[in-house]
Amino acid sequence: MSLIGDTMRVAMSDLYYLKRNLPILMATSIVTPVLYLVAFGYGLGKDITMEGVSYMAFMIPGVVALTTVTSSFTTVANKLMVQKRFYESFDEMLLCPISKTSLILGKSILGILKSMMCGLLMLLIGYFLSDDLQITPMLILCMILSCMVFSMLGVAAGMIVPDLPRMNLFNSFVILPMTFLCGTMFSLDALPEVAKNIIGALPLSQTSACLRAAALRWDFPWVSLCILIGYGLLFYGLCLFSLRKTN
Amino acid sequence: MPFIIDAEGIVVRFGDFAAVNGIDVKVQEGVIYGFLGPNGAGKTTTVKVLTTMMKPTEGRLSVGGYSTAEEPRKARDLIGVVQQHIALDKDISVRENIICRAMLHKIPKKEIEPRLMELADMIGLTPYLDKLVGNLSGGWKRKVAILCALMHEPKILFLDEPTAGLDTQSRHMLWDMIRQMNKRGTTVFVTTHYMDEAESLCDVVSIIDKGMIKESGTPKELCARIGQWTVEYDSEEGKRRYRFFSDWYDAQAFVSQVSERDPATRKTHLEDVFLEETGRDNMKVTEKRLRV
Ligand SMILES: Nc1ncnc2c1ncn2[C@@H]1O[C@H](COP(=O)(O)OP(=O)(O)OP(=O)(O)O)[C@@H](O)[C@H]1O
Ligand SMILES: [Mg+2]
Repeated sequence: MSLIGDTMRVAMSDLYYLKRNLPILMATSIVTPVLYLVAFGYGLGKDITMEGVSYMAFMIPGVVALTTVTSSFTTVANKLMVQKRFYESFDEMLLCPISKTSLILGKSILGILKSMMCGLLMLLIGYFLSDDLQITPMLILCMILSCMVFSMLGVAAGMIVPDLPRMNLFNSFVILPMTFLCGTMFSLDALPEVAKNIIGALPLSQTSACLRAAALRWDFPWVSLCILIGYGLLFYGLCLFSLRKTN
Repeated sequence: MPFIIDAEGIVVRFGDFAAVNGIDVKVQEGVIYGFLGPNGAGKTTTVKVLTTMMKPTEGRLSVGGYSTAEEPRKARDLIGVVQQHIALDKDISVRENIICRAMLHKIPKKEIEPRLMELADMIGLTPYLDKLVGNLSGGWKRKVAILCALMHEPKILFLDEPTAGLDTQSRHMLWDMIRQMNKRGTTVFVTTHYMDEAESLCDVVSIIDKGMIKESGTPKELCARIGQWTVEYDSEEGKRRYRFFSDWYDAQAFVSQVSERDPATRKTHLEDVFLEETGRDNMKVTEKRLRV
């Protein structure tokens, strides 16, 4: 129980921050995905069907995936980076009687909460835009899982990346390409075999596959779910490793 | 009596530059210990090591009798620290910062509010509790940082240049606060550039320069060591010069030798000791250091 309690202690300052800035934070994260829906879903894809459903229905789970993933990653990574490099408040946290696991989980809470709110909002919008879409418990569970995984990656990045320019570099060369390529807005089958295998292995591809299957009631890709959990453990390990190194 | 802070042979290297170069720090329980040194001397680095925020390259350290290598958790629970760079979350309020810190130290929820109000009252922070930390002036931010550090009632309080950037009133108030904490039994380790502050506040001081401790003792002892009487006079190039004497009559004899160079006799201050130990012209030192 102390694990959950301690996690909340760590998350406290971020929760105060979220409470103060909720509307602004939500608004900024929701603009891009809404634009994707309008531009690609309505503008381009009106008459297209993909893997047997309307393009809109195909695209919405993908957009939800990319929203939750980017928003959890950037929120956590940027916040931690600011706390570490500019406020320098993070190091003092290490002096408190809190376990490393609680520290990692606590720092990812902000990302999980914020991106779940954004993801649910997108899902709601999507629900009105397409009849094929269903909101199932599995869908919500998968969303929570992917928020956790990418928040963890955010913690690792916040710990490891030394400055803002490099963080932006990582964003532009890793996160942004993933949001476009990982089966979010088109089927991976459209890609050449090699690219398909590489991109298909990335964590966001697993998220899109899981969310889409859950939302459209397709056969659930349990393998993807396991891979996603594997990524989560990997990122957690990375966090632990970088925490050990700084301490 | 065992030392509450007991560090031996501490070395901290950044690459091949030794910021701290083999120092011993021994602090007895209940004292106010001043750590003095010019810019870049290694004060902050030492504080980081003593508070376990940084591992030394070499050396061993125990805090409150607990070896920081073997029982870091127990050692840390005794420590409160106010860093030179004020470590607060600037995008939440003063009260929120304090509550978060108290929660992290696992202070029972119902104790937080009364303790917060008591301390805030003491420092005069009460009217600012609901302001964003980012909107406070530097001095008030520092007071918030100090309050945060005091919430878990540490046995040892580290203050890294607590009075830098504070106005005269606030400095005096802070000194009073430090004395008050000290009376309640807190050992205080404070770094500063201000010699008058160290002289009036500290029971024991050490002077550190270029990563090495030059002198240690009570302010009185240090003054006596170079000579408790100072004669200042003008040199031929018009620069002020200083000579130190243990004996008043020797000092007067010297004054009569330099009588046409505007001599003055006075008590030796800690500032004189500091300048003698660290060099009156430390710009040269800084230059060399920057090239490293
Ligand atoms: N992370 C670091 N990497 C490399 N060099 C460092 C690092 N931290 C400190 N130094 C160097 O170590 C030396 C001592 O720094 P420190 O901050 O301990 O000085 P200080 O006595 O606190 O100075 P000030 O009075 O200006 O605060 C300086 O020369 C500084 O440049
Ligand atoms: Mg310093």
